[in-house]
Amino acid sequence: MTCTAAQDHPASIDNPGQRLASRGELTAFLTGLAEEIGADHYMLVGITHDQARADARIIASNWMFDAIELAGKRVIASLANGPLTAALGAPPLPLVTAEVAGAVGLLNAEEARLLDALGHAEICSLRIDAGRQRLFALFSAAEAGAIDQAALTRIQMKCCYALSQARNLFAGAAMQDPLSDRERECLLWVSEGKTTDEVALILGVSSNTINSYITHAIQKFSASNRAMAIATAIRSGII
Amino acid sequence: MKHVRIKDGEHTAFGNENNPFGWLPPAAQTPAAFNLTDLVRRCRWIASDIGASGFALFFHDPSPNGVQLAPCFDSSYPGMNAATKAIAACVPTGEIVRHLQGRTEPCWWSNDAFSETAAALGKLAWISKVAAMTAEHCGIAFPVHAERDRSGLIVFLGTEIAMSQDALFDVHARCFSLFSGLCRIRSRVDGQTISRRELECLKLTANGYTSEEIARLLKLSVHTANQYLAQSAQKLNAVNRTQAVAKALRLGLIE
Repeated sequence: MTCTAAQDHPASIDNPGQRLASRGELTAFLTGLAEEIGADHYMLVGITHDQARADARIIASNWMFDAIELAGKRVIASLANGPLTAALGAPPLPLVTAEVAGAVGLLNAEEARLLDALGHAEICSLRIDAGRQRLFALFSAAEAGAIDQAALTRIQMKCCYALSQARNLFAGAAMQDPLSDRERECLLWVSEGKTTDEVALILGVSSNTINSYITHAIQKFSASNRAMAIATAIRSGII
Repeated sequence: MKHVRIKDGEHTAFGNENNPFGWLPPAAQTPAAFNLTDLVRRCRWIASDIGASGFALFFHDPSPNGVQLAPCFDSSYPGMNAATKAIAACVPTGEIVRHLQGRTEPCWWSNDAFSETAAALGKLAWISKVAAMTAEHCGIAFPVHAERDRSGLIVFLGTEIAMSQDALFDVHARCFSLFSGLCRIRSRVDGQTISRRELECLKLTANGYTSEEIARLLKLSVHTANQYLAQSAQKLNAVNRTQAVAKALRLGLIE
């Protein structure tokens, strides 16, 4: 063993004992990661599924306000969770905005020019799994080729570890679980193909009670029927 | 026509030195290029890189009966060794299942007999110690997650496990790659037989449409729409369309 945590990673945020305890520390951590790979900007994005449509929720970012406004949430969502997003364990695929990403359906020429002009010439999107919560980290540089590709996997894992320890800082990035324990239990059984009567038998309550639990769950998801409530719950990782 | 410049990833962390089999390419590129045996071989390479003598991969099965770790393969593949069975048997109440549900950081265990390994692993940042799960080995467990909320645990066992901080990140990334490959193999088995039309109907059902609405949207008769849904339920081994939707989502057949 030649390597210790203290020698290789002097930054205090690498110490597992010191968790990210505030938004300020999260900002400092992400700024540190961006510096480590030579990126100028970072953005941490959660994707929420609202009735099958994806929407971006920005958790932390040092993008200019104008850049976010001009690019729009839709573009950010598709950049964050697009075909060039690096899954964990897959090599990163940086997007060079000047060379127009129309081919992969992420940006049109106008959006690409805009991002390029605003200092996002090269954008890398990394998938971040914080426990079962999924987020996306966008790192961008004003100059194409500035981002150190070899270091991306390392900071992707670091990001996963740090955010999994600090999930309370971005609670609400994905859909909050609105269900009660009983409602969740009912939905889980229904998703296993059980009928109302069968669930009533399993849980030892009347089938009217089961129906009311399920109706409540459907209402909480603003779904139109059982199948949609189940789908929404699975998509947002509740069951 | 050049639209997107994709940098050559081969010289980075995924070059030949670090990962002798390269990374598992996206499903679209090589639909049937690898099988379970390839994954076991990759796992063996990771194990030898960190000085582990054994390994095991568990699927995290969310079921109404509680959380279960279902063993998928281990170092005795195609058999299954005692250590794997012991881990699968002891977890339902253990902290490792709770860890897996909420966390991404690896965790490790050891006992007094292996103080050297314990010292080496103890120095690493980001990983935490848990109660010993096997008495005769040290172990390090990597939580892994994939699309559609599937998660699992890759465990390496041995008496002389050691790695540097950077190798930890690298090994964990390779574990993720392995797991996503495994998930793709699993959904491929079911995915082959279900037709595009049946998947369309399932997807619309998941979005809350009724058979009548689906029939109207896809310009089919209601009977045909119902038949597609019944067929897909049968192929997915589901008892009704709600379960078929749930299964298709969990397998990643529909988004």
